Amino acid sequence: MAGLQLEKRVKYKSSVKDPGTPGILRLREVMLLFVPEDPKSDSKLKVQTQNIKSQKSTKEGSNKPPWLNLTNKQGRSHIFEFENYQDMHACREFIAKALAKCEEEPKKLAVSTSAEQLSIADLELRFKLLRENSELQRLHKQFVESKVLTEDEFWATRKKLLGKDSIRKSKQQVGLKSMMVSGIKPSTDGRTNRVTFNLTPEIIFQIFAEKPAVRQAFINYVPSKMTEKDFWTKYFRAEYLYSTKNTAVAAAEAAEDEELAVFLKPDEILARETRQKIRRVDPTLDMEADQGDDYTHLMDHGIQRDGTSDIVEPHNDQFKRSLVQDLNRHAAVVLEGRSIDVESEDTRTVAEALMRVKQVSKADSEANQERLERISRVAGMEDLQAPQNFPLALLSIKDPRDYFESQQGNILNEPRGGGGLKRNIHEAYELLKASILEIKTEGLCDPLIKPEVALEVFSSLTRTISTAKNIIGKNPRESFLDRLPKPTKDQVLHHWTSIQELLRHFWSSYPITTTYLHTKVGKLKDAMSNTYSQLEAMKESVQSDLRHQVSLLVRPMQQALDAAFQHYEADLQRRTTKSVGGGGGERPNGYV
Amino acid sequence: MASVASKLYSDDVSLLVLLLDTNPFFWSSTSIKFSQFLSHVFAFLNAVLGLNQLNQVVVIATGYSSCDYIYDSSSTSNHGSLESSRIGLPALFGSLIEKLEDFITKDEELIKEEEVEDRIASSLLSGSLSMALCYIQRVFRSGNIHPQPRILCLQGSPDGPEQYVAVMNSIFSAQRLMVPIDSCYIGAQNSAFLQQASYITGGVHHTPKQLDGLFQYLTTIFATDLHSRSFVQLPKPVGVDFRASCFCHKKTIDMGYICSVCLSIFCAHHKKCSTCGSVFGQSKLDDASPVSNKKRKAPET
Amino acid sequence: MPQVKIIAKNFMDMVASLPAIKLDKLYNNVFICEAILRSLPPLAKKYVLQMLYTDVPVPGTMMEEWVLADGVSKHRVAIDRLIQLRIFSEMVDRKNQTSYSLNPTFQNNLRKHIISGGVLPREPMNSDNAIKLPSLLELETYALRQWECFLLQLINPSQGEKLAGISPSMMRIFQRGLLSQRDKDGPRLTESGFQFLLMDTNAQLWYIIREYISNAEERDVDPADLISFLLELSFHVTGEAYNLNTLTEVQKNTLKDLADLGLVKLQQGRKDSWFIPTKLATNLSVSLTDSSVRKEGYVVMETNFRMYAYSTSKLQCEILRLFARIEYQLPNLIAAAITKESLYNAFDNGITSDQIITFLQQNSHPRCADRIPSIPENVTDQIRLWEADLKRIEMTQAHFYDEFPSKDVFEAACDFAREWRGLLWEDSKRMRLVVKSEIHNQMREFLHSQSK
Repeated sequence: MAGLQLEKRVKYKSSVKDPGTPGILRLREVMLLFVPEDPKSDSKLKVQTQNIKSQKSTKEGSNKPPWLNLTNKQGRSHIFEFENYQDMHACREFIAKALAKCEEEPKKLAVSTSAEQLSIADLELRFKLLRENSELQRLHKQFVESKVLTEDEFWATRKKLLGKDSIRKSKQQVGLKSMMVSGIKPSTDGRTNRVTFNLTPEIIFQIFAEKPAVRQAFINYVPSKMTEKDFWTKYFRAEYLYSTKNTAVAAAEAAEDEELAVFLKPDEILARETRQKIRRVDPTLDMEADQGDDYTHLMDHGIQRDGTSDIVEPHNDQFKRSLVQDLNRHAAVVLEGRSIDVESEDTRTVAEALMRVKQVSKADSEANQERLERISRVAGMEDLQAPQNFPLALLSIKDPRDYFESQQGNILNEPRGGGGLKRNIHEAYELLKASILEIKTEGLCDPLIKPEVALEVFSSLTRTISTAKNIIGKNPRESFLDRLPKPTKDQVLHHWTSIQELLRHFWSSYPITTTYLHTKVGKLKDAMSNTYSQLEAMKESVQSDLRHQVSLLVRPMQQALDAAFQHYEADLQRRTTKSVGGGGGERPNGYV
Repeated sequence: MASVASKLYSDDVSLLVLLLDTNPFFWSSTSIKFSQFLSHVFAFLNAVLGLNQLNQVVVIATGYSSCDYIYDSSSTSNHGSLESSRIGLPALFGSLIEKLEDFITKDEELIKEEEVEDRIASSLLSGSLSMALCYIQRVFRSGNIHPQPRILCLQGSPDGPEQYVAVMNSIFSAQRLMVPIDSCYIGAQNSAFLQQASYITGGVHHTPKQLDGLFQYLTTIFATDLHSRSFVQLPKPVGVDFRASCFCHKKTIDMGYICSVCLSIFCAHHKKCSTCGSVFGQSKLDDASPVSNKKRKAPET
Repeated sequence: MPQVKIIAKNFMDMVASLPAIKLDKLYNNVFICEAILRSLPPLAKKYVLQMLYTDVPVPGTMMEEWVLADGVSKHRVAIDRLIQLRIFSEMVDRKNQTSYSLNPTFQNNLRKHIISGGVLPREPMNSDNAIKLPSLLELETYALRQWECFLLQLINPSQGEKLAGISPSMMRIFQRGLLSQRDKDGPRLTESGFQFLLMDTNAQLWYIIREYISNAEERDVDPADLISFLLELSFHVTGEAYNLNTLTEVQKNTLKDLADLGLVKLQQGRKDSWFIPTKLATNLSVSLTDSSVRKEGYVVMETNFRMYAYSTSKLQCEILRLFARIEYQLPNLIAAAITKESLYNAFDNGITSDQIITFLQQNSHPRCADRIPSIPENVTDQIRLWEADLKRIEMTQAHFYDEFPSKDVFEAACDFAREWRGLLWEDSKRMRLVVKSEIHNQMREFLHSQSK
């Protein structure tokens, strides 16, 4: 694609009045270049594609020469006059493609742009988040302002917070008017029998979108067989025949004129599409899928377009459409929205563009094949079918004991005492049976339990309960944290969040591939050891009765930090030994 | 939690499913005699039945190689033979004793065909848990009005690792049914299964220290019906250790490597999962310095 | 008490109100201990169980440790109940600590019961004895039929077949308070009679048994003996036959009465007589907490005030007739409608709208009971509205006073009436006041003393 380029002979005009400079227009994906024939001419032009805002072209068949008007983002326009329409169309399409590509590109760029190029909106969003979330603000203050983390690093772990809003900005499609095509009423001048239809590009677009058959006919007949004007006249004649509901006349005229017949017959393309759509519908009950159906194109039922439901002779049936069909079709098109983005006055272009869109969606439908298969699977009785053979490796746990015993540690290995057991089995069972016999003959032992033992057990259990109460608090739902004085509690919570923040950055920096990461880890480590000492200090400062509990709370934090320090030391050591032994060539990229 | 219908049935009516460990290996090795143990348990069951006319007790024996229902207080066929009532055994348990005897005989017969050497002397806890849940499920489906069920495991033998998955599934089923599993572990070690079962299902786990006072433990802790538990405090384990042990050295670790296929845990990076055999890619950490890492790892593996 | 109070909430209140000596005597019976245990609130049951094998007083603080903050009131109730029933005895030591110990007789008997299960002093039927026992289902229908028959006769002595056992005098005792005889046109149900009919079977049974016991002394029977026999009866196994020969003469007589109520079924063997307890008997000691229905409902109430009752019972038809118009009766269905007239009729008889609504709710068909609300709201609202319609004017018997000698006397009289909560109206300008009739006497005395 990159290598593609197009060369056309054109005349360049800086304005409509300009007589124009002849030359060659070279089109490439990233830019277009105009080289005048006269090397001395200073009208040499270079336009970056991404700077082009829009393009306009004159309509074929109008009396104007084939002009292509490019407007750049600064609002300046460049007009190129082509030798013929074919050249112009080729160029226009090329630019359209390039433009489409350009639109994707900026997104990629945005990712790589750094903070300096951050849009104002993003900054505002960040400020807003900080304002709203005091905890976030504290963290931000603690780490970013003390230079432990850079602004970017801080936000990089919170993309989700930022991302939420950016989705909302997505481009909205231009909608369609909800007026129906059939609602285009002719205006009569009252004196003659002549009726006039007013046609605007928007209406044409709508007609094409709603009636693929008309679109197809347009592409087939115009301009080869008839002029655009003739085409529309014919179309509206057909429409007029409908509105009069005179099916006999319609049938008669259709018999005479095969082009007219095209408009009168039910839309074959639509029917085909519908059939396809129906095939795509999940046969399992799905209310959502049924919502937008338009099965009515296949069956001929319902009320007539104008709300009457007069009976028509059966052989003229094909010249009759129901209101329901029209309504559904219109609704479908409105829902689809304006799927093409061509702002062209040229009817043919519109028709072709619509065609392409349809073809694309047809390709989509091929992708649907897979879905169909899935549906057929679902529709079948699952439990009656042979098991699906998924290309998956089965989980093969060789010995479940491996899986489990780790939990048990070494204790378990003891009672697994092999041979001795076998001998004991029957003795053991005999013992058991003897016990049962004993109870059978003598009854339960009486006294069941010595009063002293009972009291001892009861008081020891009561002790556990009361100590548990002291630990957990009077109310089990209230955690120990709530019993701490408020400043201490806040401090503990704050330490916890900041340690999490630090650890997250710390661990995500590994493996250290760049100097940047190296320094970052260093900074983080310092900050962490700082926090560590703060934790120690806090432990010392709390009242003695709470100290044990606080130290229990602090322990997991310190353990997490210890693990990080350990890793840091080990990594440092490994790298120093390696740089001594390994030689310079093996250093990973960027590491100094 | 309780539906309106079950409220109609008085609050403290309970269905107690007791899983009785009859593992011969355990009972031949422990300090408390089985007959003494049974005395305590029978007295406890009698007490539970005595608390409310509508209380129901089901006993499932958990043997070494099988498990079976041995008593159901709601069935009519268990009103004891005259013989047992004459010697002063609770009349209700005449049939229980007989069934227990039959069960043990059958359990012994089953064991002969098996290879004993390779198995830990554990009881078939998963089986009896499933049976208890089946029974409870049937009670649930019998109508809107039913007693509140709970399960009590009286376990002495160690956990059977080969039952891990089955036991865990039972535990989670119980959790879904909102059936608490109480557990009273009288063995020498500690049962991770039962600890987890009680923790997950909101039951009580306790390890009695004095086995001769078992009855006192049972009545003080485990006789408490579900309704009363909303205003009575029962002993809770001091803490649940959520840290995992690695599969390779059985060390308790804070950080480790987890097989993405079978979730086995390792304390160091391996090339291959020792549990399921999945081949691992290079760890990210090693990517940074592949050469040095290989050197470092070589002597270990 | 002007009238018999129809709150037969539970039997145990009655037991608790027995004098101490009799209560202690009761605890000599294992089964009574057991029955009492069942009747206790859940927390009290727990306390008894955990103290079963301790023989020294346990400090109250130790028990309270186990109770969560929101259960403290329940703890109080439990302890109070235990002391009331003399199961716990309270001791306060020098350090002002309260400890409790179990009643030794009670404790010993319970221990015995738990270990040996207790053996009923009745001889169960041997399997070789060839009497065909009724199936449980048959027994239940028998019990219900008997009970309904009794109720029908109770509320409508002229109707229904006569019961052999219960003497007319006994019947009259039961009817006391439920029926009034003042009119010539036969006895009519009193207010409490209607309320009685709307209660569920268990509560009705309690009421009758209560009456039966309170009447015992007139028949030269010791109430404590009777209570112990009844409680013991509830430990028999439903559907098993027991020999009559172990019973005393009094017990045999009692049993005959109970057979008429449907509590037991008597069966004559070739040489021995047997009795078979029914569910009604074994449910006697069901703990107090479940006073609500356990049986399935049968009434479907529609929003158009029509009511369908799936029932074959004549009694139930009669009960519905208390507040609804029976339209027609099919073999298994009663179609009725709630109308203004039928409700006014019910209100006249002293039935309140709340009673009707609770009755409908408790007896609503399982299909309807699942719905919330089980009775259509417009129906319940209308029932309440109609009742409120009748209560627009409240009638109070009153006395009117005027011509007070001075303002002071008048005001003193007003204050006095107010103190007695009998002041209905006063007019200080003209010195007139109206007081309730109940305090007329006190008022008169007061005015006399004032005038002196």
